[in-house]
Amino acid sequence: MISEQRVKLMTRLAAYEQREGKKNEEIGSYFRGDYISFHILKSALSATMAFALIVALFVLYDSELFLSDIYKIDILDYVKKLVLYYVAFTGIYVLISYVIYAIRYRKAKKRLKVYFNNLKRLQILYQRERKDKLQ
Amino acid sequence: MTQLLVIREQLKKICGKYEVYLIPIGKFLAALITFLVINGNIGYMEKVAKFPIALILALLCSFLPLNFIIICSALLSLVHVYALSMECALIVGIIYLLMFLLYFRFSPKDTFVVILTPICCMLQIPYAIPMSLGLVGTPASVVSVSCGVIVYHILGYIKESANALSALDADGVMAKFKYLIDGIVGNKEMLVMLIAFAVTVILVYIIRRMNIDYAWTIAIIVGGLADILILLIGDLMYTTNIPILGVILGSILAFGVVKVLQFFVFNVDYARTERVQFEDDEYYYFVKAVPKITISTPEIKVKKVSGKSAENADVQERSRERVSKTVREKAEGSAQRTVRANGTGTARAAGAGTSGSMPAKRPVGTGGVTRTAGSTGTARPTGTGTATRSGNVRTSAIGTASGTVNHDRNLRSSISQEAPTEGIRRTYHIDDK
Repeated sequence: MISEQRVKLMTRLAAYEQREGKKNEEIGSYFRGDYISFHILKSALSATMAFALIVALFVLYDSELFLSDIYKIDILDYVKKLVLYYVAFTGIYVLISYVIYAIRYRKAKKRLKVYFNNLKRLQILYQRERKDKLQ
Repeated sequence: MTQLLVIREQLKKICGKYEVYLIPIGKFLAALITFLVINGNIGYMEKVAKFPIALILALLCSFLPLNFIIICSALLSLVHVYALSMECALIVGIIYLLMFLLYFRFSPKDTFVVILTPICCMLQIPYAIPMSLGLVGTPASVVSVSCGVIVYHILGYIKESANALSALDADGVMAKFKYLIDGIVGNKEMLVMLIAFAVTVILVYIIRRMNIDYAWTIAIIVGGLADILILLIGDLMYTTNIPILGVILGSILAFGVVKVLQFFVFNVDYARTERVQFEDDEYYYFVKAVPKITISTPEIKVKKVSGKSAENADVQERSRERVSKTVREKAEGSAQRTVRANGTGTARAAGAGTSGSMPAKRPVGTGGVTRTAGSTGTARPTGTGTATRSGNVRTSAIGTASGTVNHDRNLRSSISQEAPTEGIRRTYHIDDK
């Protein structure tokens, strides 16, 4: 005998799994700190690559001037400036990433909580059905 | 309005029913339009800028995820730009990479805006994009819109300066780079548009979230006006040569487009049919969950009938208000004049009955005699409105009458009558002489 209530619940759960369940489950498999730090690492990598591309663009733009003045400029001061810009750029980007991933983790956990509650309800329905069968 | 609602419900129904086919068709059309627009504007590589290739690519995109359209579009534009100049391709490639690395890594769903914005710019309705994103998106959508505007202007600049770039071949690679970067960074029109669109998105977003009536409409109007204003100020400051008339007409057009979208897309939950599979110990379930529809199509006939009666009810309501107002004014006027004519005392010319909201009161007066006629209701069953009193009679309707007669000697009175059986009201104006 098919239980209508159970099918409804299972449909809802399956629909959730199909839409965002997998993603949320993946997020939920991490501890908060691990999840955020892993993504911050990725963000820092992205920011480094982006910064390198921007610097490359600047160098290409001013290449003639750069090549002619390469022996005149204070390399150490130049590198210091570059590192300062890099730290500022990456720092801001990482901060934004932290906020975004912290929010994402919280939301995913909330949805997972609802999902697990529904799973518990489903389990109760199964137990009831088994009891009915035995009687 | 009811017709529109029914159309919307029908759309919902169709979307739910044919979702399996509609989504690939939509993707196919979006991809085809995008590729054709790219080929039409910057189709420098003739081998690739052919319709069959665009068609095949669009067919491929219709079965793959939405972001595949973006990847294909980016590659296609890069190929065309490469055919023009390697330096251009390098710069465009770097900008695409920056966009991906810094933003679209976070929100891959927003990537489609990057394609949609240039297409809307070409269709002369770019202002619809910030308004729409303000309505459905978040303030973060500012970045998506900005990326779209940047892509549009970069490709536009490359298209405009294709001849100049060819002429710069002799000056070397660096000169080309400098020329391109100068052109892109110094594009004031792009800068003004970026600011205008960013402000519009944020304004629309803030207003539509406010707890006020017609928040969405107000948000669209305010956003559109802010957009026009910023573009005009930008034009004055940097002489961007943005056509003012075009901006105003484009904004009006965008307003219309967004209103239509609001009605048919944004406010509606096209809750899609869910097709899920699961199993328990005994069965395999293949469930198709169809969303419920609130207004069903067969109700259209019923709507037509009720629409007519609703119109009647509306007319009745307006007429009732007019009659009760007239009666009240006349009664008050007559009472005042009676008092003035007969000395001290208060007089109310009123009759018992149901005349609008006028209270039926006995005339009170200690001074002179006030003549009142308190006719209680049933004036005449049917007739053409011949009044019981002598005088000029004007009728506005025919039918059973029940109501109140208010009149004083030498004063003009009104009779308000109601026919409860038919719900038709009439007013008699009697001039006593």
